[in-house]
Amino acid sequence: MKTPDLKKLIIGSLNANSDSEEIAGKLEKEGVSYKFSNGFTDKVIDKIFSASSTVTREIEFVKSMNYVFCRIAFTGVAAIVILLISIFLMEGSVSINSFLGLGDTYDESIVCLLTGN
Amino acid sequence: MNESYRQTDDTDLVKASIEGDKLAFGEIVNRYQKMVARTVKGMLGDSVFAEDIGQEVFIKLYYSLSEFRGEAKLSTYIQKIAINLTLNEIKRRKRFFSMFSQKGNNEMYEYEVADFDSEEKREASEIVNKALMRLEPKFRIIVAMRMLQGYSTKETAEILDLPLGTVLSRLSRAQGQLKDILDKL
Repeated sequence: MKTPDLKKLIIGSLNANSDSEEIAGKLEKEGVSYKFSNGFTDKVIDKIFSASSTVTREIEFVKSMNYVFCRIAFTGVAAIVILLISIFLMEGSVSINSFLGLGDTYDESIVCLLTGN
Repeated sequence: MNESYRQTDDTDLVKASIEGDKLAFGEIVNRYQKMVARTVKGMLGDSVFAEDIGQEVFIKLYYSLSEFRGEAKLSTYIQKIAINLTLNEIKRRKRFFSMFSQKGNNEMYEYEVADFDSEEKREASEIVNKALMRLEPKFRIIVAMRMLQGYSTKETAEILDLPLGTVLSRLSRAQGQLKDILDKL
């Protein structure tokens, strides 16, 4: 197709009542075609599924971190409780007051503390 | 790659893809890559960057397949993703070029001249590409839908979520702009 005819075809394709499908087909025949490179599908599939496996690995890592954290946290709490109990037993001061931190506190001293006198 | 899915309809391909079937999704990519190439390359120029956007279109499609309810055609759904990503890329390029480059709007698009079996075809492709790249993006998208994809005015309005009247007025203004551009080429 000669350049002036091609230009006419392009302009004509924008007429509201033109058969755009037919014009698109004609233009494609004339060389106006677009396509992606060879192996496009494989590239897309690789990107999607390699990304999916990375996400799966990340999720597994987070899950195992949670598991390890729970194990450490529970063991730690148990160790602290045992340590506290052993200290109280050794010093012979196991009482509810000492657990609550009220061992040496008297009513008068609380009043002094609150009133500032 | 996926001979077994050649005859399968889009709905079944979508279902299989959601379940993680690579071959089914590969068939969707094969089926619609030409359509996406026309939109993306028609809007951005025939370059490597357009190819990246094309890949992004299908990656986005894969992750949004569960949201696809089948009310519209799969091709329309893909076309909308392609248009959104392409328009975002145009905006991104505009921002980049306005900040870091003295180049005009027309020069921020590039295209590689592919191999053609005749000089006439190469020239035709070059004329269309140059003309498209010089159009304003809002007109370019309408021209790409009509001229490259072969959609009717009604289909164009549906895909672009625009009233029919707006599409018609943009078509006529795009025609005027295109005439001026082609006269200078």
